[in-house]
Amino acid sequence: MTSFLLAMTFFVVVMVAVGLFCVLRGASNADRMMAVQLFGTGGIAALLLAGVANGTEGVVEVVLTLSVLAAFAAVAFVKADESGAKDDDRPEQGP
Amino acid sequence: MSIALHLALIALLLALAFWTVVARETFAAVAGFVSYGLLLTLAWVALSAVDVALTEAAIGAGLTGALLIGATSRLRKTEAAARAERPGRATRVLAAIVATAVAAAIAACVLLLPDPGPSLAPEVAQNLASTGVGNPITAVLMSFRAMDTMLEAIVLLFGLIGIWSLASDRYWGGRPGLAPVVEPNGILAYLARVLPPIGLVVGIYILWVGADYPGGKFQGGTVLAAMWLLLLMSGLHDAPAVSQRWVRLALVAGPAVFILVGVLGVFVAGAFLGYPEGLAKPLIIVIEVALLPSLAVTLTLLLMGPPQRSESSP
Repeated sequence: MTSFLLAMTFFVVVMVAVGLFCVLRGASNADRMMAVQLFGTGGIAALLLAGVANGTEGVVEVVLTLSVLAAFAAVAFVKADESGAKDDDRPEQGP
Repeated sequence: MSIALHLALIALLLALAFWTVVARETFAAVAGFVSYGLLLTLAWVALSAVDVALTEAAIGAGLTGALLIGATSRLRKTEAAARAERPGRATRVLAAIVATAVAAAIAACVLLLPDPGPSLAPEVAQNLASTGVGNPITAVLMSFRAMDTMLEAIVLLFGLIGIWSLASDRYWGGRPGLAPVVEPNGILAYLARVLPPIGLVVGIYILWVGADYPGGKFQGGTVLAAMWLLLLMSGLHDAPAVSQRWVRLALVAGPAVFILVGVLGVFVAGAFLGYPEGLAKPLIIVIEVALLPSLAVTLTLLLMGPPQRSESSP
């Protein structure tokens, strides 16, 4: 069972990594953000699998923290994009 | 199978680190860095260092990512100019040599460590019972090396003062961030209504469980800060003016309690931050509980940046 779980962890990590590299190489910023989100989801899955396989105590706490904070980067990205666009509209203020 | 997983993690870490360093676009580098933080969390768990993994998940992958994304959007205007300005070949070669030398020196230090490395772990394990807590990391942070933790909490305050001092004169003491725009039916407002109750429970749970399992106030405070930031970003709640008395009180309350307990130790236990016999655990919990809201407010305001609006503006 343990080796099966570890094999699954390996599979998840490699699959997510493949996706990450495809997207990181050439794409828009929104695509890159999505890749990071995918990596977050895959990372959580891999953490749970590896934690159960190795019997590591406290992995659930890490997973809880990650999953609560996972959406946070995407929200920051959208808001930063909005405020950046607002700044562009504003006429340049000379010193 | 375990070896294959470790090798894959190492290869990925190196590849992502390389990508983050060589990416020319700022956002591409930030995307690489956030993924690197996530992967590092996985690596720490693979090394059974769950406490470190938890901190990495909270600070490295969570808050730092949001902070860097915000920085990217502020740098966008100057990015084209920065990219056009390519340093000369000599500068680049010199930079590469210096960076390689630093990396080689660090690698040499790690490789030349005696085996087994010098360790205080047996002493910690021996004296763990005297602190009353079950998690050795918490015992080290809150009892054996409490001084470092106290200074860490205070240094965050200094960081915040540094950020505030970047405000222009007319907004000094005002509200940080842009004026909120509320979309009551937007997906962001929905998320900001659904997630914070869950986040609050998780944050307080992470604090409480820290006595015996991986967790603690810094990680819990980060989760709480993220929830408040979510509310602020959704526009459901406006950032407080940084000159308000309750903000200032919330910021200093935690470190003040820490220092008070420390001074108490001088009289009761004969040393600064010494805990009297049998009272170690209650005092540690008092400090942790007092620090949690202070850290959450500090981290939130650190991410919100310097005041950009006057106090009364909508």
